[in-house]
Amino acid sequence: MKYTTRLGVVFTLFISLFSVLILRLWFVQIAEGAEAVTLAARESSIDVIVPAPRGDIFDSQGVLLVSSRYVPAIWVDRHFVQPDQKDQLIQALSALLNQPANDIATLYEEAGPNGRFQVAVIDTVKAYQVAEQLRDYPGVSVEKIPERVYLLGESLAHVIGHLGRPTAEDISASPELDPDTRIGKLGVERVYEAFLHGTPGVVTYGLDAGEITSTVRTTAALPGDQVYLTLDSDLQRVVEQGLREGIANANQIKAGLRARGDVSGARNEVVRGAAVVLDIQTGAVLAMASAPSFDPGLFVGGLDQTTFDDLQASNAFLNLAVGGLYPPASTFKVVTYMTLLEENTPFPAETEGVDAANKVVHCDGELQVPLTDGSAQVLRDWYGNRDFGWLNYHDALTNSCNLYFYAVALGIWQNYKGTPQENLIQDQARALGFGDRTGIDLTGEASGIVPDRALYESWRELMLADEDAPKLLTEERLAAATPWFGGDLMNLAIGQGGIVATPLQVAAAYAALANGGTLYRPYVVSRAVSVDGSLSYAATPIVIQEVRLDPADVASLLTDLNRVVTVGTARQAFEGFGSSLSQVGGKTGTGQSVKAKDNHAWFAGVAPIDNPRYAVVVLLDEGGSGGAAAAPIGRYILQYLMGEELDPITAGQLAD
Amino acid sequence: MAMITPTRTPVGEGPRRRADVVLVASVLALSAFGLLMIYSATRLINERRGEVASFSMERQLIFVVVGIIVMVVFSLIDYRELRNFAVHLYVVMLAGLVVVLLFPPVNGARSWIQLGFFRLQPAEFSKVITIVALAALLSTQRQGATLLWKLIFRSAILLGVPAALIVIEPDLGTTLVFPFIWLVMVFAAGASFKQIGWLLGAGALSILGFFRLGLLEQHQIDRIAVFFDPSLDPQGIGFQLIQSKRAIGAGQLFGLGLFEGTQTNLAYIPEQENDFIFTAIAEQLGFVGGLLILVAFLVIVWRLLAISANSRDRFGALVAVGFAAMIGFHVFVNIGMTMGLAPVTGLPLPFISQGGSFYLTMGMAIGISNSIWLRRSPVPGEMYSG
Repeated sequence: MKYTTRLGVVFTLFISLFSVLILRLWFVQIAEGAEAVTLAARESSIDVIVPAPRGDIFDSQGVLLVSSRYVPAIWVDRHFVQPDQKDQLIQALSALLNQPANDIATLYEEAGPNGRFQVAVIDTVKAYQVAEQLRDYPGVSVEKIPERVYLLGESLAHVIGHLGRPTAEDISASPELDPDTRIGKLGVERVYEAFLHGTPGVVTYGLDAGEITSTVRTTAALPGDQVYLTLDSDLQRVVEQGLREGIANANQIKAGLRARGDVSGARNEVVRGAAVVLDIQTGAVLAMASAPSFDPGLFVGGLDQTTFDDLQASNAFLNLAVGGLYPPASTFKVVTYMTLLEENTPFPAETEGVDAANKVVHCDGELQVPLTDGSAQVLRDWYGNRDFGWLNYHDALTNSCNLYFYAVALGIWQNYKGTPQENLIQDQARALGFGDRTGIDLTGEASGIVPDRALYESWRELMLADEDAPKLLTEERLAAATPWFGGDLMNLAIGQGGIVATPLQVAAAYAALANGGTLYRPYVVSRAVSVDGSLSYAATPIVIQEVRLDPADVASLLTDLNRVVTVGTARQAFEGFGSSLSQVGGKTGTGQSVKAKDNHAWFAGVAPIDNPRYAVVVLLDEGGSGGAAAAPIGRYILQYLMGEELDPITAGQLAD
Repeated sequence: MAMITPTRTPVGEGPRRRADVVLVASVLALSAFGLLMIYSATRLINERRGEVASFSMERQLIFVVVGIIVMVVFSLIDYRELRNFAVHLYVVMLAGLVVVLLFPPVNGARSWIQLGFFRLQPAEFSKVITIVALAALLSTQRQGATLLWKLIFRSAILLGVPAALIVIEPDLGTTLVFPFIWLVMVFAAGASFKQIGWLLGAGALSILGFFRLGLLEQHQIDRIAVFFDPSLDPQGIGFQLIQSKRAIGAGQLFGLGLFEGTQTNLAYIPEQENDFIFTAIAEQLGFVGGLLILVAFLVIVWRLLAISANSRDRFGALVAVGFAAMIGFHVFVNIGMTMGLAPVTGLPLPFISQGGSFYLTMGMAIGISNSIWLRRSPVPGEMYSG
């Protein structure tokens, strides 16, 4: 091979190599270049999101309940962090903030390349330290961010709710969400998130040599709308105080019982309860309390796991007023009462102690229910062997005579069994809102159950079809010809058996009964006002359904409810109520639940009698007697509503 | 290959009067262009450091001036003298490569001898000296015959010693240059394709051995891994590559304009004035600018091969081929690496990248080549007399 040929081979090699370079250059710059241009252009500026302060929350009187303040927070912008500075920066932040380096590293990775993340909210002293010590780290900055302030602490927590970081699902549902933002997780904060959240602003900074040199564009952050509640914080304070004192009172009663050696209803300490006040004419919630409560402010700085677990274990996040399901017990008797009056249902024939013609019942503590085989089942009442004499429906409600309402149910059973009319009580209950969610604008509402033949039969089918189905019915019922017994209807008539309801449902039902039959959807937010002052949301009363009630029957019920507090089961609790006693009414209830350590204490009230405005419902979970434990709380709240002097809560009569 | 054939020139006494104008002009043009690019890539960073914008460029200008003096001096020296001093030069070079290992490492590598103002990189100079030594050895065999295996082995040892010392520093990029230069020179010196094939096979086996024996540093293995998949490490080594490709892509046909490169100005690309200078060129001046640079380098390679063809003796011919291989390989690996075609090895771009030792080395190579050109035989037939 000639030398020049060898050189030719070498030159050819280089021409080939350089051709590869030229082709590659063409590919990168011309074929793929268009894509690179946008990427490069993007990095000549960065967008920094300016978080918007959430809207304030006010009560119905315009009292500020929840607001936002600006606090310093430390941010890292990975745009400006050189890869080799990363570890050093994380170590420095960890040392300064006393936070595990791993946590910060996780935040760093999650932010992604060129991402921006908030490391922590810090106090002013720390802010100066950061400015001093981290000056040498590009990409670290201290910025003011809005932080939620809950002015009421634990008060009203279940209605207001709390905030939290968006979950992965939240972000996939609305990708524009900043992962560092906080969104509503409970209550009004959650339901009215769209109004409260506000619109984050964006500042576009021009970059030169990796440093911010100019502000290209600023879109200001738009604060969220101001939300006004229907609740009155003064009334709320009274309701919460009443609930607190009432729980203490119930525990005192139990202590007394224990001291006397009666432990049947005194095994537990009362810790849970709920109270709600509705506007009878609109459905607006005027007060709503649930114990135990929590401070939504705990979530602002991030809640540690132990505190969260403790609160979770005590059901502190559960709003018992809308999510607690209990047998409504004697408070439900008003439904049976109204069914009797409206439908004029027949009474059972040939039953000892029942006068079918005059619809009076001998309330002496025992009712002999004739069975098909000729024998009789003895039903006993709550008051033992006391003899109230022959009672009509007025006195039966006043004294909460179970036997009377058993008789009403027995009459329906005997006469209408197997026909659509056997469900007269259930129809009345559903018309008043039992068995379905009210649709209140809060989280965690439960629906409740109104049992009837169809429901039990569907449960039986479910259980027979699937061995793993929940054990909704007993073996006895599964074996019987029908799982729905006459005794079930009789139990329902006094609010026991399969029926369960929330305190809010009971309140809505009492409101509907008192206003003549209009069932309103309860609501807690009256309006939202945007930053420019315009109304972005205005609540109007929503009628769920209307049931035609004879005004005379309504008047009769209201009169009898007043008699409950003047001469009936709540008499003792309402003693010394004040001059407006004639204008308040109510009904006690003592709910039995198989699993509970003690009965659930109820009180449902209305006022004023002549022009009903307020429906008040109180529930103490395992609180004992409705008359003794719940009625005094109802009295306390009603005293405030009627403008009476507030008396400290003391025990009422140990009555149903 | 009529381009690389002996040129008929006037017969006269002493060295030819005219230097290789095309070669020297190309080198000076690239050097001047390099100064401009260093300025564009460093002006903002210098300002941020509180220096004048032209700080880096001025420093490089000093090296360019010294480099040109070196070029002139080596052009005037008869290259054949180098052959006489080849052994001495080789020993001094080995000494330098050992001495450098006694200095504290900078960025994990012991590549520099601190001389106050100047940090000497013996590895750079070793490229030129090794080429001279190889040429001296290989030119002992007459042109025309197939190269003897004995000579190939001896040349391998000659090359292997400095290469091994540079591996220890460690400087992977420079180490890679040696085998390539060697292959080209051995081929030019008369090795058969069969011999080249054997050598390539042995090379592949030894690379395998490198990995097996753990002789490569972890960051070098990483760099090779990232070469195959830059997304492995988008913020570290891959970061350089991704940002570099992005910036080059942004240049498109005519570039964003001088001083206009967003990526360049944002200092997103580390080492931009050094190994990644081509990124700044391609972003600011586009495909057209990049193409011109490549063409200029191809012209230099062509001229060096033409000088080789015109050399009066076999020694000069092999030296010139070695320089062509050295410069061509640097260009290919450096530019290829900015576009993801070659691993990020840290080989600078001749005449353009910032760096004193490297520029002086290139100056020496061009000067020696020019000396060969100036002393070529006036009669085309009078070749390879040595």
